Amino acid sequence: MKISRLQKKMGDFFLNIDSMKLEPGKVHGLIGSNGCGKTTLSKLIMGILTPDSGEIDYEGLTPRDITMTSQKPYMLHDTVYQNLIYPLTVRGIRPDEKEAEQWLSRCGLLDKKNQYARSLSSGEQQKLSFIRAMIFHPKLIIVDETLSNLDPDSTELFEKLILEQQEQEPVTWIVISHQLVHIRKICDRVNFLEKGRLLAEGTPEEILMHPSHPSVREFLSKTEIFYQNDGDTQ
Amino acid sequence: MEGMQQIFSDFFSTVGVVDSIRVTLIMSFWSTLIASLLGITLGFALERKQFPGKRAVIRLNRTLMGAPPVVIGLLTYMLLRKKGPLGSLRWVFTIQGMVMAQVLIITPIICGMVYSYAVQKAPAIRAFAKTMGADRKQTGRLLLREMKNELYFAVVSGYGRSISEVGAVFLVGGNIKNNTRTMTTAISTLKGAGDYYEGVFLGVILMLMAFAVQTLADHFRKEETGDENF
Repeated sequence: MKISRLQKKMGDFFLNIDSMKLEPGKVHGLIGSNGCGKTTLSKLIMGILTPDSGEIDYEGLTPRDITMTSQKPYMLHDTVYQNLIYPLTVRGIRPDEKEAEQWLSRCGLLDKKNQYARSLSSGEQQKLSFIRAMIFHPKLIIVDETLSNLDPDSTELFEKLILEQQEQEPVTWIVISHQLVHIRKICDRVNFLEKGRLLAEGTPEEILMHPSHPSVREFLSKTEIFYQNDGDTQ
Repeated sequence: MEGMQQIFSDFFSTVGVVDSIRVTLIMSFWSTLIASLLGITLGFALERKQFPGKRAVIRLNRTLMGAPPVVIGLLTYMLLRKKGPLGSLRWVFTIQGMVMAQVLIITPIICGMVYSYAVQKAPAIRAFAKTMGADRKQTGRLLLREMKNELYFAVVSGYGRSISEVGAVFLVGGNIKNNTRTMTTAISTLKGAGDYYEGVFLGVILMLMAFAVQTLADHFRKEETGDENF
């Protein structure tokens, strides 16, 4: 996927991405301070927002190949199971109940299969939204801070699910997270945004451990990975 | 015992209770149905579409939500009377005319409520639908499904207004016994005749009807359990 000269103005905020490329089958991390435009960019890619100008070349991907999860996912007024199979229903695919149960089981939600989804805790809702995004095998998954505020076990589970997926049937991911340790672990490429502009792009090693851009260095110095010349993380 | 039966029989025939119940049910059913279809469609359209003067339209609708029914009734009467622009319909002093007046009163109420609910909820539902790959029709169905409780309250509010309204139906319907007399206009007639207890009795029947309709609607509505965790 190629993004060129993408612009979107929203109040005082102005997103201006000159050029950005997403490699198929790779996990792309999107990092930056709050309000730098990560979610706006994701919504533009998802088609929830319309750009003022510029172009997104989806290279054959259709809207049905792309999905997105957020930190506060929308839960249907229905059971956990019905929420999980909703993307399959939309596509006219008859859900395989056993497969669905396996997904629920992996996330520890099997015993809540018939429970009202909105009665789940926020962490459980995030888990459900994550597997709901994966169940229909999309080609591009945008994970917008879904992994934030989760307990270590859940974060580990998400990492495992992403890495397993990449081993079996690689899909393209955009992972937005402030947990840079997590970004470093699962991402193939990292993009750094500041004030609506893409300032740096490279491997996790290049961006997180040996950043050349001063803004990236400043950002990292304020987060849990402290930039160090020897490459160690704290 | 026979005396009591006679009193009830006289009461029922004098004001035409059975027919007033029939007229009330027909009028409130059709007016609520038509106003719901119009109000829900317009409410969603108002939330979705951007057009010049949108704010003025919203303000006008809010004004109409609180418009005095007598004024709407008078306007409807002027439209429908023989020399009026819609005189050829011959709807004055008919149930159709009363339904028309009711639709004019209730539609802005349902539209305004649906608009307010949609402003709060529809964008998130549409965004979710997009992330799930839903097409336009599926998104529309999802909106109706996810907002069914809100739509239900809007329709019930419209129905409540319809069943309790007096002024407009009096003017347009004419309160003709066994023909266009509703329960509320019958109560008004009884009050005019000094038959207060009979009026209260009819009022109780009206309340029981509203309760029965509410119970029936609740029965068909899937109740959701569990705490909402927003």
